[in-house]
Amino acid sequence: MIEQILASGVVLTTPILLAAIGGLVNRQAGIVNIALEGKMLVGAFVAIVISAATGSWLVATLAAALVSMVIGYGFSLTITRLGANMITAGLGLNVLAAGAIGFLMSYAYGSSGTLRLPDVALLPHVFPQSVESVPVVGQLLAHLDPLTILAVLAIAVLPFLLGATRFGLWIRATGNAAPVMLAVGLKPKLLQEASTAFAGFFAGLAGAQLALASIGIFNEGLTAGRGFIALAAFYFGRDRPWQTAAACLLFGLLDAAQIRMQTVGLPPRLIGALPYLMVLVALVVSQMRSLRRTQ
Amino acid sequence: MSNWLDRGLGFAVPLLIALLVSALVLLAIGENPLDTFSLMLTEGFGSPRRLASTLSAATPLLFTAVGTAICFRAGVFNVGVDGAFLIGGLAAVVAGFSLPAELGWSLVPICLAVGALFGAAWLFIPGWLLARLEVDEVVSTLMLNFIAVAITGYLVNGPFLSRQSGNNVTPPVHEAAELSRLMPPGTLHSGFLLALAVLVAYAFWTRRTPAGLEGAWVGLNRRFSRVVGVSVQRTIILAMVLSGIVGGLGGAAHGLGQLHRFTDGFSAGYGFTGMAVALLAHNSPLGMLIGAILFGALASAGTTIQLFSDIPLDLVNIIQGIVMIFAVIELGRIGIRRRVKA
Repeated sequence: MIEQILASGVVLTTPILLAAIGGLVNRQAGIVNIALEGKMLVGAFVAIVISAATGSWLVATLAAALVSMVIGYGFSLTITRLGANMITAGLGLNVLAAGAIGFLMSYAYGSSGTLRLPDVALLPHVFPQSVESVPVVGQLLAHLDPLTILAVLAIAVLPFLLGATRFGLWIRATGNAAPVMLAVGLKPKLLQEASTAFAGFFAGLAGAQLALASIGIFNEGLTAGRGFIALAAFYFGRDRPWQTAAACLLFGLLDAAQIRMQTVGLPPRLIGALPYLMVLVALVVSQMRSLRRTQ
Repeated sequence: MSNWLDRGLGFAVPLLIALLVSALVLLAIGENPLDTFSLMLTEGFGSPRRLASTLSAATPLLFTAVGTAICFRAGVFNVGVDGAFLIGGLAAVVAGFSLPAELGWSLVPICLAVGALFGAAWLFIPGWLLARLEVDEVVSTLMLNFIAVAITGYLVNGPFLSRQSGNNVTPPVHEAAELSRLMPPGTLHSGFLLALAVLVAYAFWTRRTPAGLEGAWVGLNRRFSRVVGVSVQRTIILAMVLSGIVGGLGGAAHGLGQLHRFTDGFSAGYGFTGMAVALLAHNSPLGMLIGAILFGALASAGTTIQLFSDIPLDLVNIIQGIVMIFAVIELGRIGIRRRVKA
């Protein structure tokens, strides 16, 4: 049973983690990305359509990431160049993305809510089925897909990228002191746009993983608030890669365990609220600490 | 004068962008945008019956817009009116079917008060957290929205589930607890009048009361407010609680007047559409009235248009999303850029 929870927990963690990676870099550059949810949904939709058309999961995944990246870039322009508020614009983009996809689905495919296409190529499994016999992590390894590995790799290199490369330091400087960036002759707005495009790219990957990991069917409710769980995760992890990844894993395992907790009599709806509650509690605790320190 | 012009432009420009984009979308699918828009106008306003259904759709938006505006003008970025709407709505409906029906006419005010109370208590939490601990209100209210969806979703499928009618609904409220219908058989109910009263009260509060003025000060400049002796903490909490009262009342009116029960999916994103309305109107009462009616017309006309043509209802969401994205852009910036280029 633990094997199964572990395996499905990791599958459920990946999309949250991918989106959270984008979101945390974005927030390090000073933009709170509320629109991850909408971009994930777009990514999932593009992934299904392209996968059915080309029969290649790789092309589909790249297309999903690129489309979301372009949307992320365009979205950031309204914030950096037109002075739109990042929160309301982000919420608006979520509404717009859901509306545009719903519109396309009923117009082009004549379906409402669910899109089934023939010949959708799913993500491959990295290891041969025989690894299933490995104790405890066997099931996990057997279901491992390339995007999960990419997410883990990204988390592993992000501390270095953000902490020790020029670009990473620029990103963090932009978030912490944009006027200083201007003063030394760099362009903070450009960096914010780049980081939002990066967040879009990863949100697109997250959507592709969600759509192509196992089912291969698109549904309007496919993301089911996972973009906001990702937001919760990088708030919970205070924008640090490892802590954020740990939060994502926790939320993923919680999601996987939720089905089993039902049989013990815990209502699933309430368990679904736990990530949000945890973020609230974490915010309160960290504020109490920092206030005590200043007193 | 220029103030009025600015406001008018601030209202019109996002709408025009949204109309332009939707016109392009319509052209792309081979529909005539002008035909569609004029059809929407007739469907939204063409007859007393249609007007009534537009106003009925505008009712929850009026509540959520006012609830949002109370906080926005005080500089409190509360995105949690949707949660207060849900919590208040469920509380009022539960009171409406569990209190003894013998209470008669007094049921309506009692249920409305219960809804307002629960809404107020709900948004008191992030208000207190912001005022005392400086917990970021955007995140706390966003998280509370999800928690509200989870709690009400659990209650409506568990303790308060109707035994007669299967899934996801509570029993109906007593007949005495229903808000009266203004134009039967249409769904326009006296909750609309309550919404108008709330709007007038908001206008009065912002212009004629010390607390309303202090709210605006805190929104414009917190340090100044502190220096002249306004309690910023109290003003923030008050704005949140008032916002919760209005949101909770909105949920109560929706439950008692429109649905007569609580269901899963009770709020069709009313909190967010209301936010779009408040942003579009820059918190002005008249602007919010116009905005809520426009969005109400969009929602009610969109439904009928989907029935009679190939245009999907999702066009309404496209328009709403664009309005939200462009609602608060700084028009000045575009002007300056042009001048520099020229």
